[in-house]
Amino acid sequence: MRFKSFDIVPHGTKIDFVGKRRIAVVLSLIVNAAILLWCVPAIHGLNFGVDFAGGTEMEVKFAKPVDPGAIRNGIEDLGFKGASVQTYGAEEEHTFLIRVERIALMSDEDVKRVVDAVQARFPVESWSFNPEIGDKIDFQFKQPPAPQELQAAVEGAGIGVREVRAEQGLAAGTRSFAVITQGIGEKIERDLSTRFAEAKPEVRRVEYVGPAVGRELRNQGVKAVLYAMALIVVYIGLRFDFRFSPGVIIALLHDAIVTLGYFAFTGREFNLTSIAVVLTIVGYSVNDTVVIYDRVRENQAKYKGRPLADIVNLSINETLGRTFLTSFATALSLVGLLVYGVGTLFDFAAAMLVGIISGTYSTWYIAAPMTIWFEDLAAKKKARAATAAAAPSAPAGRAAQK
Amino acid sequence: MERSWYWRVALVVAVTLFSLWQLVPSWFYFKLPPEERTTEAYERAVPGWAPHSAKHLNLGLDLQGGIHLSMGVDVERAVKAKVARRADEIAEFLKSKGVPFESATTTAGGTRVAVKTDAPDQVKSTLLDAGYGDEMYSPGTADGAVTFAFKDTVLRDFQGKAVEQAEKTIRNRVDKWGVSEPDIKRKANNQIQIQLPGFKDPEKAKELLGRTAQLEFKIADDENPALDPLRQQLTPCAGPDGFQVPLPQGGCWTSETIELPNGSARSVTMLTANTRPELEKLIQEKAAPLLDPQKNVIGIGEDSVPSAAGRTPYYRTYLLRAKTELTGDYIADARAAIDQSQQFGQQGRPLVQFTMSAEGGRLMQKLTSENLRRRMATMLDDKVETAPYIQGEISTNGQITLGSGRNPQEMFEEANEIALVLKAGALPAPVTISEERTVGATLGPELVKRGTVAALVGLGLVLLFMLFYYRGSGLVADVALALNGLLVLAIMAMIGTTLTLPGIAGFVLTLGMAVDANVLINERIREELRAGKTIKVALQQGYDKVFWTIVDSHVTTLVAALVLMNYGSGPVRGFAVTLTIGLIASMFTSIVVTRAIMEYTTRHETARLSV
Repeated sequence: MRFKSFDIVPHGTKIDFVGKRRIAVVLSLIVNAAILLWCVPAIHGLNFGVDFAGGTEMEVKFAKPVDPGAIRNGIEDLGFKGASVQTYGAEEEHTFLIRVERIALMSDEDVKRVVDAVQARFPVESWSFNPEIGDKIDFQFKQPPAPQELQAAVEGAGIGVREVRAEQGLAAGTRSFAVITQGIGEKIERDLSTRFAEAKPEVRRVEYVGPAVGRELRNQGVKAVLYAMALIVVYIGLRFDFRFSPGVIIALLHDAIVTLGYFAFTGREFNLTSIAVVLTIVGYSVNDTVVIYDRVRENQAKYKGRPLADIVNLSINETLGRTFLTSFATALSLVGLLVYGVGTLFDFAAAMLVGIISGTYSTWYIAAPMTIWFEDLAAKKKARAATAAAAPSAPAGRAAQK
Repeated sequence: MERSWYWRVALVVAVTLFSLWQLVPSWFYFKLPPEERTTEAYERAVPGWAPHSAKHLNLGLDLQGGIHLSMGVDVERAVKAKVARRADEIAEFLKSKGVPFESATTTAGGTRVAVKTDAPDQVKSTLLDAGYGDEMYSPGTADGAVTFAFKDTVLRDFQGKAVEQAEKTIRNRVDKWGVSEPDIKRKANNQIQIQLPGFKDPEKAKELLGRTAQLEFKIADDENPALDPLRQQLTPCAGPDGFQVPLPQGGCWTSETIELPNGSARSVTMLTANTRPELEKLIQEKAAPLLDPQKNVIGIGEDSVPSAAGRTPYYRTYLLRAKTELTGDYIADARAAIDQSQQFGQQGRPLVQFTMSAEGGRLMQKLTSENLRRRMATMLDDKVETAPYIQGEISTNGQITLGSGRNPQEMFEEANEIALVLKAGALPAPVTISEERTVGATLGPELVKRGTVAALVGLGLVLLFMLFYYRGSGLVADVALALNGLLVLAIMAMIGTTLTLPGIAGFVLTLGMAVDANVLINERIREELRAGKTIKVALQQGYDKVFWTIVDSHVTTLVAALVLMNYGSGPVRGFAVTLTIGLIASMFTSIVVTRAIMEYTTRHETARLSV
């Protein structure tokens, strides 16, 4: 038998992970708190994409170089506030991502302005506005006006109109009108193709998400992440021991938050795909933890009577190579996406990479040592329950320092 | 154990061949240029021994181009309309019962019915005892009016039905439209999701899907002289040269001679204008005050006169009875045709022929027999399309002649469109677009190219790494990985999932994760060998001991993937599906396939293992 191979982590490596757990926990707490604080809208907030914020996003490719400032000015001339224009992909592709009005909702003020303007000119019988839909006001008139005039009246109030739709009235024989604002995509497209005619703008993708849908997606996204975490924790609890679960929960939260941190600190767009990344990280980062827990269980049977801290540290060290290598292999598969991916695809890979690194770190420094901490807590509780009968039996732990 | 590798190798070979076989249609599918993929050229290209030609890998909307729409059904409006109808019914019912009341109108923002009366108790008991009580209750009496509201369960049921019917209508419309592989789903919050792959015209899609398509039949009130005083107030249309377009600015009056049922003829006043808004304004200012809205409404239609530019359209009024006699709900079939009749000016015009259901036919027969020799207006979405005399009883078949003045091709298209929406039924409530994602045709192929390159680079690096780090065993892992990729694609083709851009990322990621299992196995084997065990024992123990670790780590990721599948739609769902299939395939390849190969290559006592 010829045994010729090299190990990336030499056999018999002994690093004191458990002993450093306090520093690691404090460090992680600071990082996590910083990320969460940064995500608070009042402080900085995540850069929500249209999926979550609502609004219109369009990818436009030009045949020639175009000044993004000129595009932005053009859009603002059309009367859309808060447009953002950013270069998308490589400079020489002349592609831009245009995003308009994060919160596409009409504010109460806007609604009031429109209603006042319409009431001033036409005999309004009733009107209704549903903030859940957010871009549509229904009017019933005693005498129906001409749609064009209605549109002119609304636009006179400074609100862009996409469509005035005559609808079957509520009572037989009457008509009512739905004034639908927005329609940003079409308007911008038309404007760009005249303004930059010589650069041949091509709208390659338009995404419009209404505010209600955006909010719904956001709530569901948070729920999905929480459900996934809960299910995973239950599974780990059933497969191992529920005393391992707290460590898993904390490590999971840690990894999810750090992944979020990528989006928070880079300001990259947080969208549906980002949720997919966070969820995948939640599922994937447990893998390393499972490997170590398996080894802990094996070693507990092998070295009966040794303190848990020792066993945990030994287990981490024994599986050091594979923990590193599995993460490395997965990270390798992402390299292509990092190099050739544009926009969402690049963010997917980059955030995934951050999550994988965080997962490896949290396995070593958070998940495994956490079990010791909880074991300590449990032991102390037991000792206190046994009252001051005898001197409390020395809990597991402490022995980490050699 | 001794001979078991035999069967396992056979299994591995079988799975490989099966996967390759499954991918045969996909191979031919992607070999064709995109525009030919949905044609017969593809069907012909797939050899007879291959799986069914429909079982090929699909590109998602984001890679193929197309439209994704979410439409919200305005159920609140549907409810308000129901309440308004109910108010009318109640008024009629109370009248028929001789219960004293002043009026029955909607109140509370259109959500309740208020009956103004001096005898609230009598109104209440009459209504609630007469079957209205099944659906409604009375929350109380205020200001001399009894209010009635629908029960919550009735409303919920009604709203659910409205969305269901809207979905059915939209599905019908899309089906009759001939888009290949559309996907229509009902979502939470009264939303309907529509995916039209390869479709390029969002405006047309929105127009066709959002159209209410309410067809109504009303009887013309030609005996009514209510509008005649306008002849003194307005400009006459006919100048010294007769009726000519363009008409005077702001609209004008003219008349047409109509035969009445009693055999006499009457000159009926009508208003005309060059544009619909102009005419609407004129009606609103001049004509509407002369009418009792309970009895009459004015319908607007389009007509045309010969002019230098061919035919020039103008708009005209019809004085109609307010009551809608019949709606398009009873239409069983509709189709576009060309008018073959010899009637002057009608010949060659596009028209829509429709067939009523049996019940509709009965109602139509009753309506037409009662109104023989009157004119009946057919209105589609508030526009009078045609208003012919009822020459005889009509039962199941009818037709709508379209206005003239535009180019025949365009009009025939419109006839087709109307036939389509009539056949598909009307939307029960207006729909609003709450989400719209359009991907142009040029973006998709570029993304596919980029994605493929990215995937290949990732895959190549992983393969090289395994080979470099684990040598022989790495090669085994690489073979397993290749088979894993093949298997994922084969399963995706088999169950008809779509490949999206995040799906490509998911595919790459599963390959990276699949290799994790092999890393775990190989590390364990090294460990066992280091402990001095023989190759055979090391292999056996290595695989046995990591078996549950591999299962556990796959299951946790699988849990996340399944939750995501439940949450996401479109591209993100594609990612979740790919990830799920990838994880299941990875469990198979890493545990079964690599083990079979390893045991096969080390079956002799003298075998060496490089790990």
